[in-house]
Amino acid sequence: MEPVVMLEDLRRYYNPGTALEVRALEGIFLTVHRNEYVLLHGPSGSGKTTLLNVMATLDRPTTGKMFLFGKNLAGFSEVELSRIRRRKIGIVFQDFRLFQGLTAWENVALPLIPMGLGRKERRATACSRLEALGLAARMEHSPQQMSGGEQQRVAIARALVNDPEILFADEPTSNIDQASTERLLGILRALKKRGMTLIVTSHHPVFIQEVDRTLTLKDGRIEEKPL
Amino acid sequence: MVVVLCLVAVIFPFMTGISILEGIKCQARISVQEGADVYVAGDLYGSNAPVSTEHVSALKMIDGVDRIFPRIVGRAYLFDQLVTIVGLHSQAFPGHLEIIQGHMPGSAGEVLIGNALARQMGFQLGTTFSLSFNPSKRFRIAGIFRSECSIWSAILICMPLEDAQELFQTPGMASDILIYTRPGYAHAVAELIQERGYLGETKGPLLRVQDRDLISLYIQKGFNARGGVFTALYTVAFALGIPALLVASGLGFTERRKEIGILKATGWQTQEVLETVGLENIMLSLAATPIAVLLSFFWLKVLNGFFVAQFFIAQIDLMPPFPVPSRFLPVPVLLGFLVSLIITCVGSIYTTWRTAVVPPSDAMR
Repeated sequence: MEPVVMLEDLRRYYNPGTALEVRALEGIFLTVHRNEYVLLHGPSGSGKTTLLNVMATLDRPTTGKMFLFGKNLAGFSEVELSRIRRRKIGIVFQDFRLFQGLTAWENVALPLIPMGLGRKERRATACSRLEALGLAARMEHSPQQMSGGEQQRVAIARALVNDPEILFADEPTSNIDQASTERLLGILRALKKRGMTLIVTSHHPVFIQEVDRTLTLKDGRIEEKPL
Repeated sequence: MVVVLCLVAVIFPFMTGISILEGIKCQARISVQEGADVYVAGDLYGSNAPVSTEHVSALKMIDGVDRIFPRIVGRAYLFDQLVTIVGLHSQAFPGHLEIIQGHMPGSAGEVLIGNALARQMGFQLGTTFSLSFNPSKRFRIAGIFRSECSIWSAILICMPLEDAQELFQTPGMASDILIYTRPGYAHAVAELIQERGYLGETKGPLLRVQDRDLISLYIQKGFNARGGVFTALYTVAFALGIPALLVASGLGFTERRKEIGILKATGWQTQEVLETVGLENIMLSLAATPIAVLLSFFWLKVLNGFFVAQFFIAQIDLMPPFPVPSRFLPVPVLLGFLVSLIITCVGSIYTTWRTAVVPPSDAMR
């Protein structure tokens, strides 16, 4: 299978060379293949979110190599990274990160604005994504008017609106109830079936049965090889 | 909505100040148009100085001169109120003065006073009073005129020239001499007086001659300079003040950082974020400016500048005793929009740019 993400001896230090240095990631080697469903597991502070951010191009490694879709990102400018995020990456944040002043469909349509789509087209695309996630009746609602599970589905719809090749989800079950967790697992399963690559961080055991591979992080290192 | 209201709060005093300035400018222009054709004063170190009324007879001889009136314009205290004194021949009293009670001053010591000033001081026809320059000189109110016609008439007391000379203890002198010419002669008369530097056979001190065009030009330049300085100071003060306030309070900045981080995480580029923030600023300014203009219009035209006028016009209280002059022109409205745009841009573009160039994870933290 074609590797989608490749990390070679990747490190991420905060405040390097100072008394406040924090080694968030240390010597990470990792390859994720197309259509693989990977769980990053580990205790709080183990570096899961940092690793996810680096792989999703939201953060840059301090040292080491990172290949995304076969390209070494070392020399990539911020503009080039933005282009990759726009076309190939979808991200679901732990606390959803929705704009409170916008409606559900406006939140979903945000990534379409820089693509030059008109309002009608943006709305149609966003609504179709929301409908697919069972939120047809919530399109005009603002995030405050929705439950945690519904907000998360809006966040997933936003992440999927550009038809990305990889979906990153950071602790997707931490702010939702059991029923919403079940629904989320179903959505992720469906995405996997459609050929998408999924990388999820979570300490919820429910994912272990779902994923192809679980990687456990501890103190910034991948502690165990695939289970 | 909160941002629009904040902008309205900033632009409203600006629009009010500029509109009052334009109103006063307009009244000044009208006063000049209604005034004399040529003004002659003494020249002392390049500034206006008193002029002897002896020059009047020589000036009358100049070809083209129609009427001549020496005038005294001065200021004195009426109790604790600073008032403007105009001493003139009764025939030269401004034509727009509308006497609503009594009559024109006919004998020595009689004066005309504006109704607003009379009301403020509790004066009526026949009331006598004295002024600060010469407390022994008593004046009696012969007539009361409507003082709403211009800002200057609100604190005006008109009296015969001789009484003004006695008040200021300058017998035989005037502040200036008003010359009314026959149509088409004003410029030639002014040039002739200027060229001679003295009058006819009477060798005397230099004279300072100003015709209507020159005074109009002074007014235009003076008001434009004041308006420009006011606009510049206002813009700079707020442009500096708002980011300082934002930095000091952190108000909204953390939220904005996170929003920019989310946009970047969903594929937006720095330039696109900046363009969107710029567009947002334009929309905010477009929304705030008409509201501020309407509010300012209502405040000045309906509430007569209640409370706010005292910040722009000296020596008036909470409730102005005369109609506050104001004029709403397109250019100040456009300026208001620009001021608002500058303020929003200074308050947001730099901080947005700073946030937009860091990795999204830093911005969202």
